[in-house]
Amino acid sequence: MDERFDFVIAGGGHNGSTLAAYLAKSGASVCVVEARPECAGGQENTEPSPGFRIDPHATYLYGGAAPAFEQLELARYGFRFVPYRSIFGFVTSAGAAVNMGSRWDQSIGEESLRAVMGDQTPFQGLGQLLQGEALRDFLRSMFWTAPYPADMDIEPSEVPWVQCLKKMFGDILPDNALDMSLVELLDMTVDYEPLKVAQSMAAWYCGAHPTWDGQALPSLAGSLLMGYTAGSPRGGMHAYAHSIIRCALAHGARIITNSEVEEIVVENGRAVGVRLGEASATPGRVIRADKAVISGVDVSQTFLSLVGRRHLDVGFAQRVSDVNFKGGSLYVASVACRELPRYHGNPEFFRDEVYPSCVVWPADSYENLYAQTEDVYSRKKVPELSPEICREHLSMMVCTHDVYDETRCPDGYRLLSPIYVQLPPTHYDVDGPEGANKVKAELTKAVLDLLADGAPNMTGDNIVDVWVNTPYDSEFRNAGMVAGNWYGARQSEDQWFSNRPLPELARYRTPIDGLYLCNHTSHPGGLCLMAVPYNLMHILIEDDLVSPGPWWYPSPWHVTDADRRLAEV
Amino acid sequence: MRETFAPDLAPGELPLEQFPDESHFDVAVVGGGPNGLMTAAYLARAGLSTVVVERRHEIGGGLATEEVLFPGYYSNVHAVYHMMTDYMPLFADFDFAKHGLTFIKPNAQTASVFADGSSLLLCSQVEDTKDSIAKFSRKDAISFGKVMRTWRRIVDEVVAPATYLPPVPPLDMIEAFERTETGREALRLTEMSPVEIVDEIFTDDRVKMTILYAACMWGLDPTDTGLGFMVPLLVDRAVNKGICFGGSHKLAGALSREIHAAGGLIVDNAEVTGVIVEDGHAAGIEMFDGRRIMAKAVVSSLDPQTNFLRLIGRDHVDADLVSTAEDWEWDKWSFFTVSLALTEAPRYRADDPWVDKAVMTVLGFDSTDELLAHWAAVADGRLGPRLGGHATCETLYDPTLARMRSGSPHPWAEDPPERAGARHHVAFLQMHAPYDLDGDAQTGWKQRQEELVDATVETWARYAPNIAGATILRRTGETPLDIERRLPNMVRGSIKHGDYNPLQMGTFRPSDLCVAGRTPIEGFYLCGASTYPGGLVIGGPGYIAANTVAEDLGVEKWWSPPRHVARFAETYLS
Repeated sequence: MDERFDFVIAGGGHNGSTLAAYLAKSGASVCVVEARPECAGGQENTEPSPGFRIDPHATYLYGGAAPAFEQLELARYGFRFVPYRSIFGFVTSAGAAVNMGSRWDQSIGEESLRAVMGDQTPFQGLGQLLQGEALRDFLRSMFWTAPYPADMDIEPSEVPWVQCLKKMFGDILPDNALDMSLVELLDMTVDYEPLKVAQSMAAWYCGAHPTWDGQALPSLAGSLLMGYTAGSPRGGMHAYAHSIIRCALAHGARIITNSEVEEIVVENGRAVGVRLGEASATPGRVIRADKAVISGVDVSQTFLSLVGRRHLDVGFAQRVSDVNFKGGSLYVASVACRELPRYHGNPEFFRDEVYPSCVVWPADSYENLYAQTEDVYSRKKVPELSPEICREHLSMMVCTHDVYDETRCPDGYRLLSPIYVQLPPTHYDVDGPEGANKVKAELTKAVLDLLADGAPNMTGDNIVDVWVNTPYDSEFRNAGMVAGNWYGARQSEDQWFSNRPLPELARYRTPIDGLYLCNHTSHPGGLCLMAVPYNLMHILIEDDLVSPGPWWYPSPWHVTDADRRLAEV
Repeated sequence: MRETFAPDLAPGELPLEQFPDESHFDVAVVGGGPNGLMTAAYLARAGLSTVVVERRHEIGGGLATEEVLFPGYYSNVHAVYHMMTDYMPLFADFDFAKHGLTFIKPNAQTASVFADGSSLLLCSQVEDTKDSIAKFSRKDAISFGKVMRTWRRIVDEVVAPATYLPPVPPLDMIEAFERTETGREALRLTEMSPVEIVDEIFTDDRVKMTILYAACMWGLDPTDTGLGFMVPLLVDRAVNKGICFGGSHKLAGALSREIHAAGGLIVDNAEVTGVIVEDGHAAGIEMFDGRRIMAKAVVSSLDPQTNFLRLIGRDHVDADLVSTAEDWEWDKWSFFTVSLALTEAPRYRADDPWVDKAVMTVLGFDSTDELLAHWAAVADGRLGPRLGGHATCETLYDPTLARMRSGSPHPWAEDPPERAGARHHVAFLQMHAPYDLDGDAQTGWKQRQEELVDATVETWARYAPNIAGATILRRTGETPLDIERRLPNMVRGSIKHGDYNPLQMGTFRPSDLCVAGRTPIEGFYLCGASTYPGGLVIGGPGYIAANTVAEDLGVEKWWSPPRHVARFAETYLS
């Protein structure tokens, strides 16, 4: 006899695990099937050398506004949070070092910006903004709300998140903000180029690229997610995953690891279960789903590998294969060292107790941002690694959690992890998927040289060890990171919200009855927000597959297929 | 006309019954091309008894997928892809999926490859296009993103919906467009030529060349003003091409199934030789064999000269309409197409591997000057020595068009064994070409066809070096004369049944005496590419005629206009 559950979830990444917790808490029987030895996908920490806990993928708590913290009571399952006095800073070749502080310490940010911009700082009152309920509502209306049915006629100004944003920013927002890219929006509102560059880089690493048309506000929202919580889970992102998984287990979910799903079994046009592959303890075993199969796998592999083209319309299969994976394919380095980078300029703003947990270097000019972007997305190759070219074509995000979270590395050491550099998505690299790996050592040298250029102490004995992941390595470890891109599908206007990943899939339903999507290739993307499963719950409730208890509350902006009415903000 | 054997038989003496000498229908549609079939499908389902009469052995007109290379290798000899699948009311009103109809709309749409190996790729997803343009000019990439937002609005709010409503006279249209910013921008562009529009927006010449090609390839004059509002449409549509899986003829097949399911009839191999006019009304049609089909409405999808000078006849036609028909300007250029059966798909010498996946690849031109010189030569009746055009490998997306595989028993045994099992391919390179080549169509094409096939393949191979030697299994060249022979309404190889110029567009297509498909001859309607809004399988003429005939015959329409059309009517026409 095949084993039967109400729901079978293929893939126990962040989204699959969180959905398991939601469904189990709702009283459903749930089975998660995960290929790797550990669940949680990119919500991962590893210890390449004893005591050094690095972040190979996800690194900040972006999901602080998630209803799931309350609904799943993650605190009961061990979740702890470390607030950071400074979340973000940037350094320029001209010697400016700016510490933006965080909602937990606004004074350093204002003081530091005033030093370079005088009284022109645009972010006065930003602290209040970041703490306000208005921001939480805005974030929830954008990220923790399922996209509307694709064929609904909605004026852009009626969209709840636009209304929430207007409530928050008042008249500052230009009327055509919805047509803009972030670069344009910043050009209208900020004078100081390094700040614009730093904000643009932050947006790129948080989601939508700053030059993508029509995405100014989602682009900005990515960094507002980071600012809203300004910190990380104690012990790293995987500790956060543990609380989710423990919640699922406590409510009776079954989790089977080391078992890859080979096939989503479709019978008479309906998904009825999953078949385990060779690399599992019980190859060929079928686990049946009485209510629904949930794919925690990206849209491309879900349809083209697990369901298979034989069940798909060729036009649909083509569109699935064209879902674009350009986005955040990252080179990730972790550097164990003895002292923090001492960037040239303004050392008083980078004191240890307020050291920015994330630093953009060099945040000099848009030239550099555009040059990188064109290498990654246009020329689709690693640039020539001469010092001159690197200076013009590379910049980096240097993250340092151990300043605020002592669990990350042993006493007497510092850990720069992760250091991010954008690279071409593996699938599109003109030198082949391993293009970056062929020059991995040279690239690492170039990155470290560039770091030492900005922080002269980052040389010699100060560097104890270096661990590196290319996008190819990430994809190798984590099959869900297609093209090495941490948020799956590009968050351009064509693939965002009601278009994500395709208009007919935006509500998480699929052309295969009984199959739903629960992966970062659906809205709202990556960042471990517990948002995809929260939004999907609305749909499963609508489809009468689950009825959670009184602990559940829906998004006030959810539009049901039945009444198709937008809530007023 | 050839003499045929006609024994002197009394009625009832034939050993079997055949289609009657005279029959009666509500609606008779002349010509089974896309528009004729659409009109018939709508009207048949509205409960009208409907017949479509087609001259060829197969319906479809330009929706023709045929074995011109060798049995088992199918080529779309006219319409290759469809540009308006997202706007055509047809696809919302009929469930074609049940007939197995599906469109493939790849992201990689239109590529340009250049002599130095650089390449440009226009994609459905605008950010991919910006990424590609940025290789040539960062500024142009940004401009493209901006201008496409405006252009998509022009398409979505104005031009696409207007395709499915009867035309509005020019002065009323100007008044209507003045109402919105989007409309005013469309009006501003109207007064510009495609070259001026492209020059205003872009700086890099190769970017300009590619956009200009996309805007003008279907016959917009690059330097004329008056139709500039079509540039946004044609550029936006150049990145929204849908390929009909199984060949474009499948759309005709799906329409015919709808017609028959609704009780309609298609009669093929039946050239219509005249429209029967009684007391100034069209009362039916007469076919080449003398059979008559009487109908309350006769709807013709043919060209203006055939319609008014031959089928109706000058005697029944207003003098103004006669002169419109006599002075009708055919397309400014036709096409010369070289089709190939290949063992493998073209692999271009290009800096971006995505180019090999593009629906269409423009090659042969490194600058706008070269492109404009080519078009000027074509307009002047010349072709070469520089050749260039657009290439498509249909089997990249639709393997069913080449039924052979390497290594399977077939007439070409030289396929390398390592390719055994791989599907063969069909591809073509098409270029703009004059009908009267070197002064005269018959002698010009006869003398130069073979030489031009060779030169075209050589040109192609310069950009895709694998298009040579044993890779090429079969080849064939089709001239404007061939187009005209296959589909005589494409007079002088006019794929759109007549030039796109301001005097033959809008209410003037074919004449302001024939608006919304109605003609001065009561009961005679128009639904073809020579009728507003025009050709290219956009579904406008057929849809508009169906609406008009349903209204005139007083039957209830079972369909309602799509959302975008209703919105347009409310904003601009109320």
